[in-house]
Order: sequence, then C-alpha cells, then structure tokens
Amino acid sequence: MSIRLALAGNPNCGKTTMFNDLTGATQYVGNWPGVTVEKKEGKFKGDKEVLITDLPGIYSLSPYTLEEVVARDYLVNEKPQAIMNLVDASNIERNLYLTTQLLEMGIPVVIALNMMDIVKKRGDVIDVKKLSQELGVPVVETAAIKGEGTRELVEAAKKAAKAGNAPAKRAFEGTIENAVTEIEKLIADVTEPAQRRWFAVKLFERDSKVQARFTLGKDVQDKIEKLITAVEEELDDDAESIITDARYQYIGKLVKDCVKKKKTGLSTSDKIDHIVTNRILALPIFALIMWLVYYVSVSTAGGIFTDWANDGVFGEGWHLFTIGAADYEEATAEYDDQITRRDAWLEAADEAGIDTSALTEQLEAEEADETAIADAAAAIEADPAAASVVGTAEFEDEDSGEVTTEDVNLATFEETMTAAEPDPADFGVWVPGIPVLLEKLFHSMGVNEDGWVYSLVMDGIVAGVGAVLGFVPQMLILFFFLAILEDCGYMARVAFIMDRIFRKFGLSGKSFIPMLIGSGCGVPAVMASRTIEQERDRRMTIMTTCFVPCGAKLPIIAMFAGAFFGGSGTIAFSAYVLGVLSIIISGIMLKKFKIFTGDPAPFVMELPSYHVPTAGNVFRSMWERGSSFIKKAGTVILLSTIFMWFTLGYGWEGGAFCAVSDIDNSIMARIGSVIAPIFTLPGFGTWKSTVAAISGLVAKENVVATFGQLYHFVGEVAEDGSEIWGELAADFTQVGAYAFMAFNLLCAPCFAAMGAIKREMNNGKWTALAIGYMCVYAYVVSTIIYQIGGLITGELTFGVGTVVAIAFIALIIFLLFRKPAKADSTEGLRRMSVDAN
Amino acid sequence: MPLTLMDTGVETTVKSIRGKDQTRKFLQNLGFVEGAKVTVVSSLAGNVIVNVKDARVAISEQMASRIMV
Repeated sequence: MSIRLALAGNPNCGKTTMFNDLTGATQYVGNWPGVTVEKKEGKFKGDKEVLITDLPGIYSLSPYTLEEVVARDYLVNEKPQAIMNLVDASNIERNLYLTTQLLEMGIPVVIALNMMDIVKKRGDVIDVKKLSQELGVPVVETAAIKGEGTRELVEAAKKAAKAGNAPAKRAFEGTIENAVTEIEKLIADVTEPAQRRWFAVKLFERDSKVQARFTLGKDVQDKIEKLITAVEEELDDDAESIITDARYQYIGKLVKDCVKKKKTGLSTSDKIDHIVTNRILALPIFALIMWLVYYVSVSTAGGIFTDWANDGVFGEGWHLFTIGAADYEEATAEYDDQITRRDAWLEAADEAGIDTSALTEQLEAEEADETAIADAAAAIEADPAAASVVGTAEFEDEDSGEVTTEDVNLATFEETMTAAEPDPADFGVWVPGIPVLLEKLFHSMGVNEDGWVYSLVMDGIVAGVGAVLGFVPQMLILFFFLAILEDCGYMARVAFIMDRIFRKFGLSGKSFIPMLIGSGCGVPAVMASRTIEQERDRRMTIMTTCFVPCGAKLPIIAMFAGAFFGGSGTIAFSAYVLGVLSIIISGIMLKKFKIFTGDPAPFVMELPSYHVPTAGNVFRSMWERGSSFIKKAGTVILLSTIFMWFTLGYGWEGGAFCAVSDIDNSIMARIGSVIAPIFTLPGFGTWKSTVAAISGLVAKENVVATFGQLYHFVGEVAEDGSEIWGELAADFTQVGAYAFMAFNLLCAPCFAAMGAIKREMNNGKWTALAIGYMCVYAYVVSTIIYQIGGLITGELTFGVGTVVAIAFIALIIFLLFRKPAKADSTEGLRRMSVDAN
Repeated sequence: MPLTLMDTGVETTVKSIRGKDQTRKFLQNLGFVEGAKVTVVSSLAGNVIVNVKDARVAISEQMASRIMV
C-alpha cells in the first residue's frame, strides 16, 4: 500500500534541496488546481511506495497568502498520512511557529531539524530529545545540503503514518485554551475528531474561509462570538493576534528549555548585509556584480559558446573539446600564407606581360575545376618569361601590425599551386554540424535536394530552430550566474535594494528579478514573476517585463545599429534605455487605471542567510529556466517556423500555386501587403518590413534572417545581417529604421513568451490585455519617434502624421499626470485574499 | 518610537504594532509580536533589514514605521 507524505516548512529552510534529495529525478511538477502556485510531487528514491508532496514554503496556515491557503486546503481535504515538517534549526523560534499549527491538523507529524551544522558552528546546543518530548513528535536531525538524515526522516514518517497517532500537544493555556475547548464542543457534530482542534482554533481567529466551510446555526455562531469577545476583552487585543502571541510565548518557553545559545554579536550574514545593503555602497556593489555577470555571459564565455552553437552545432561542425582546433588553425594560416604568395607572384607575372587571366578565372570560379586550374598553371609556368618573375608578398602580423615582405619566385609559385585547403575533419576529433549530418542522411536516402522535403527540413526547420537554439548557451550562462546569486542569497537583497526605486513608479522591488532574467529570455522572466505576492503587482510586472531587450532582440539592434548608425554603441545602449523608460512610463500610466490602483503591497520579505551555493541547486535552477525555452523551441517555434517557411516559399506564380522562385510572389508577401498600410504612420508601411516584424513573433532574431530572405540574399546572413546593410539603408531612413527597431523591441514578444504570459496570467482576458497593451504601446512610441524625429531631421514635413504623433504625446502625458482612479479595495488582492477584519 | 528611527546594530524590543490590516498579521506571523527582540541590521532610504528571532526580514519604511519599539 502506498503512503502519502507531505513536506512542509518555511521558505528558505532548505525544503527544495530536501525534496530534490528525497525524490531525485522522479518529480512531477505542475500547478495546484486553479492557481499559479507550483505543485511538486515525487516518489521517494528509496521506496517507490512512498509518494511525497512538496507544499509551498509558508510561515503559517493563515488565509493571507495563496500559498498558505493551498497548503492548508491540501492538509485538511487530502489528509496525507503524515507531515514531514522541515525546521531550520538556525532560526528555530520562527520555524516552530508553523510547527505549532501543523500539530493541530490531526495528522501525524515528524520534525526534520535541518541546518544543524550552522547551529553547531555558532556554538549553540539544541537538546533534540527534550524537544521531541515537549512537542510529542519524533525529531530527526538532517542536513539537506549533504543529503544526511533524509532516509531516517522518511522511515520515521512511515512509522508515524502507520501508527496514525496525531500529536496531542496543546500550545494554549488559561482562558484561550478554555475558549478553544468550548468551541470544539460546539462544533463536535459537524467535524471529525482529528480535525476538530484545528477548526476550533481557526473559528476562534474568525478565519472567514473556515467560517464559510460550515453552516452553523445562528445560536452556535452567537455562542462562539461571545466566547471570542470575552477573551478579546480580557486580553485587550484581537483574537488572531492573541493566538499568534500565545503561540510565540509557548515557543519562547520551549526554546528556553531546549536550546542553549552562545551569545555572540552580529552573525557573518548580518556583517555582510551591513556592507552590501549599506546606503552608500548598495547600488555601486549591485552595479558591479551585474556588470560582471553580463560581461561574462554576453561578451566572453557567452560569445564563445554562442559561436560554437551557431557555427558548430548548427553550422559546419566543431572540434570536440577543441582537440585539433589549434593544428587546424595553424594549417589554415599556412594555407592562407601560400595563397598570399601565389597571388603576389601572379600579380608580378601579370605586370611582366604574362597572360594570367585563364588561371585567375579558374581560381575565382565557384565550382573549382582541378584539371583546368592545373592546365592553366602549367601554361603560365611554361612561359619563358616566368622564370625571371619575382613577386613581393606582404604579410601583416595580426598582433603587432608589423608588415614583412617576402620575395616569391617561380619555384615557390609552383609549390603554392600544390597547397590544398585544409579540411577541419582531418584534424583532431571533428564533429560535423547538424546541417552537414542531415545533408549526408538525405543524400544516402536519395532525397532530392530540390524537392520540398529537403527544403522544409534544411531551410525551414534546421535554419529556423537552429537560429533560436543558438541562444541557448548564452542564456544558460546568464541563468547560471543568476542562479548563483539567487542560491547564495544575494538576489533577495537586490529586491530590497531596488524596492525604493521601483516603488516610485508603482512596481515592487520583487519585479526587478523577472526583469533581470528577461535580459536573457522573456519566457523564464514571466515565470519568475510568481514570487510577487500581490496580483496587480504581478500582472503589471508580466505586462512590462518583456520590454527589456532579451537575447534574441540583440541581433535586431546590431543590424540596425550597423546598417544605419555606423555600428554605434550608443544605439545599442539606447535600446536598453528605451526598454527601461518603457517600463517606468508603463508603470506610472497603468497604475492610474482602476484595475491597478493602490500602493504596491508593502515590502515584507525574508532574507535567507548568505551561504555558499550548492552545485545541485544552481544547475537545477539554470536547467529549469533554460529548458522552458528549449521546450518552446521544440513546439511553438517549430510549428511557426514551418508556417513561415511555407508562406514565404509558396505562392502564385504564372497563375498557378507553386513553390515561388521570387519571394515577392509568396503568400506572406500578400499578407504583408494587406497589413502594411497600418504601419504607414510609424514609417515602415512596406510589405517587407511588415513581414519581417511578423516573423519576429516566431522568435525575435528571425527579423534579421527574414530581411536576408526578402533581399534575396543567397545563403545565410550573419547574425547582425551585415550582408544586407546596403539594401536596408536604401529602404529605410535613419529615423524610420530606429522607429522600426523600437517597434520590434517593444511590441508583442515571441510566441514562446506569449505562451508563458498566458500560463502565468491564467486568464484569457488578461493575456489579451497584456499583449494588446504591448502592441499599442509599441505602435504609439514608434509613431512618435518617426513623425517627430522626421520633422526634426527634415525628412518629413508637417502633416497628418505630425498631428497624430502630437496627439499620442499628449495622451501619454495625460495618462502620466492624471489623477489616479479611486482604489477598489476588493480588487487585485490575489494572495492576501481574505480580509480578516 | 517607530523602528525606522532605530540605530543599526542595537537590540530592542517590540512594544506594539499599529494598524489592523493583513500586513500586520503577516508581520506577526513572521515573529514581530509584542516582546520580540529585534535588531536593525541595515537601513536603506527608510527600508530596513531587521533581525527577528534569528531571521532577517526586509520591510519597507511604510511597514517599519508601524512597528513601535
């Protein structure tokens, strides 16, 4: 028979680490019914009959946060056979507060005393035996980080579950205990004996969710109310505070008996906080850490891995562990030198009156014809004048820039003609890229290279999905560093540091973490908004977090900065400024609407003590975020890539529907032409730019690749599209280009991110509202940029467009400075859902 | 006096928490009850990090000003 165990505990007590250790890879992750709170279940590694449910991290079983409600509903309705209560021993008083409540649920409890190593290091002593006696439940010492004691914990829980004895310890005394006992009697006929205690305490606290659970007669309700008011008058406080106080008093005595504290000054963690959250140093330290993270993940390590993914895995191939890469590079350099010598001699020969055109023609031909080259070379060498020709080859040292010259005579020339271009596969361990492998596979299967199957797979799927997956390494490195910052405890401080700033425009400091993640990828960013308690703060964060330029938007920025602004770094920087400004403006504007009014929830957040991050947690977190993106690439992006391939490759040519030779005749070109007029105001009302923008919905960097296709560029364009800069410059003006870039950065994110928004909003109307807002905002901003910018540079004259742009500006100013709508106190409270008073 | 005015690093005792809303309850659940020993670890533009019952809790100025010590 299987046994169901629940794992409960405070946030930051090591519960996630413990759960991972208990269940290993057998986890099932989903949502609790109807809410976006993560539910994790898994089978115990040592015994598949044991099913463990990980409850959300909570401080109490009050009805104030969604997590608490979810946890207590599970305990009351699903009745697991035993609760494993994880208690952070280094913070035992606060952790036992939840324990006192779990003990009333009528379910056997086993306490896991975690982080005992920290307690011992501090020099404190906990009398575990006495603690177990006082609480009346088994207590097991564990160290989740090291995986110690977990087996004993599950064994103890199994034993407790089989015995089925609910703890009988009572935390209250005197009048409170009497009142609760009286209530127990009053509800005896509507409750099971095991759960009676818990319901009685909750009714004493006037917990409206529990009140609503029972249909008690008017006389019973009155009797209960009379009992409560009597105690409230005696103790001069409200019932709920009375219970809280009583619990903490009970714990205070318990801890006094069982814990011997060696009094020391500030803990190491507090000392670090003294510096890191210092009013002067907090922001500079934060800026420095962020700069380091981005420098490494984008410029150095990230760049190397991105190149590997793009040119290696989704390109020609790569040298495994770079074995043979150095030799190959040396051989290539040697080959290049030979070519330089050859060209130098040919140039000299040409000047000496020898006809070299036949050879140069052959050498420059796309398909090299070995025999023709050899024949042409032999003809030149046979020329009597050739023997006396001496060319001068110039070599530039890459590091010093020093130029050396070398004389090239006929013998050297003959040698250069035998030099063969080195094949990377001949050096070290060469792993061919996916396109190369697929090509071979198709070849061996006899698939026609001109057929649609080949085109679909190679041009559609491999090129499309490959471009998207090329971002994975960079993203994983960024998430790796962010996971370290999270696991060591710094990220919680970041939220604290940023809170004062974010509060000014209606967001909470906790909104900052999704935005940081958003600079890597919007999908995990939207998912990270879950840590924000208040519904309206969370919705606003979801609506604005995609304004941060994610990794996939960088190629768009690079392309336009390169094509129109001489590769100016200012343009790239301005894209981030635009993103941040958009968040600020949106925050202030949205806050004035009725659905968002009210102050951000007061910032209350527990800061975990600093500790060395564990590899397991860091890699798990990195992988969870990264894989959410990879999964999307495998589903949504795959499908939309096929759609784009089809609509761009097929259409009507010569009156018939067929694979088009000219992209201008494709289905997408027609769709683009219909939509294009909408974008006349922001200055990119051509079907090409419309199609490019639409393709950006699949994945933002597609905008670059699509322009490549639209300008008939043969082959794959570089990441920044440098091959098509000239054509782009002909189609756009500087202002128009910037407006188009701004639109693509701000409008609806890619399908993958939209999917994440839908999941996290958990509501169709809100999803539509969020995406609609982004699109409208992007349209308004790009129109203003184009119309006003054009007027300033003299590209445009005053006209209808200018009037619209001015109207848009007026609208934004009005929305920024108007009086906020009256707060509707019942709206927007998601987690603090029940008003107790 | 309100917690916001406390010097950092000095241990003091919670006398009362003003207000009657959910956030007050939330603070109480976190250990901010009458008689609890608290130390302000750090203060940043009004927001404070408080050590209470061996845990560090970051709270905004708005909330901290309601905790009387």
